Amino acid sequence: MHSNKLGWLLLAPTLLVLFFFGVLPFIYVVYVSFHQWNPFAVNPDMVFNWAENYRRVVFDTQFLASLGVTAAFVFFAVISELILGYLLAQAFMKDFPGKAIFRTIHTLPLIMAPIIVGSIWKLMTTPSIGIIPNLLDSWFGYDLNIGQSAIAAFITTVVMDIWHWTPLVTLTLIAALVSLPPDPFEQAQIDGANKRQIFWHITLPMIRPAILATVFIRLMDALRTVDEVLMLTGGGPGSATRYVGVHIFKEVFPRTNYGYGSAISVIVLYLTIVVCWLLYVGLIAPRNKKG
Amino acid sequence: MTDLEELGDMDEKLNLHETDAPPEETKTGFLPIQTNWFDRLFISVVIWVALSLIWFRFIEPFGPSIWISNAIALALAVLIITKG
Repeated sequence: MHSNKLGWLLLAPTLLVLFFFGVLPFIYVVYVSFHQWNPFAVNPDMVFNWAENYRRVVFDTQFLASLGVTAAFVFFAVISELILGYLLAQAFMKDFPGKAIFRTIHTLPLIMAPIIVGSIWKLMTTPSIGIIPNLLDSWFGYDLNIGQSAIAAFITTVVMDIWHWTPLVTLTLIAALVSLPPDPFEQAQIDGANKRQIFWHITLPMIRPAILATVFIRLMDALRTVDEVLMLTGGGPGSATRYVGVHIFKEVFPRTNYGYGSAISVIVLYLTIVVCWLLYVGLIAPRNKKG
Repeated sequence: MTDLEELGDMDEKLNLHETDAPPEETKTGFLPIQTNWFDRLFISVVIWVALSLIWFRFIEPFGPSIWISNAIALALAVLIITKG
């Protein structure tokens, strides 16, 4: 019992911070989501309107469309980051000239603020002055204009996210690969297993917890992407890159529609939790022996 | 007392390995995964929200009130928490 008390005492500061900066704001957002509240409207007061905001959300075609493009963005970004991150982690496990410098340069995007990443990519993709449209034009004769082409804008945001976040996946997977015991690999080699068999039957199952943790982190991060995309495309052209985070931003800040914006935020949080929970249930939750 | 002994003593005091922590009460019900009471409450809330949103979108426009959905969700929650 004594150790329990000490444990709670040591946890208390963190729990207090979490309560005041995590739980309380969440409760407030849920509270606001049940109100009609636009401080710059004719009636600036908060008016309780039951679940009217949620009723409105499920018919909001712009929000539903933003959910669709967000799902596509998350799918392509997270899968690409995982594959690329794993390949880079495997490359960093071997020695090659300039490895230390390459690893440092490769990690640099991680330390940049998303808004700066958005600015850099904006400069690099602006037609006539950006390096990417220039190179694509001179090499392939392709005219990249993310202000006009919806598909080009979407792919550019995915590539930007991959560029920004693959180092995180690489670092996590390097940590997982380094900690693997050598015995199973040696035994597999003695038994005559080839590289593919070793990957599928030994490496992958052993680093599965690290992969899952990385997927959870990246999934949650990608679902709340706002600043880089807002900087790069502003959600356009049209609504091609209007991801849910961008949609909430545009609903809450320029329109000051706090009640409705809160309802959308709560639904996005709900969907994020459900997606992560389904992944957990599908991949690692202990099965019911009777079921 | 040496540093190592002190560390071992601290480890015991902090109970880092939770050797005397009460075993988590997991249950084997009709759900396909092992759950404790909080998991079942969580599943009930997830179903309640999903049912409400689906009701708003597809059923309420034809007349039935959202309170019917809430009653169904409550009944499901009781079933999941007690038998899940």
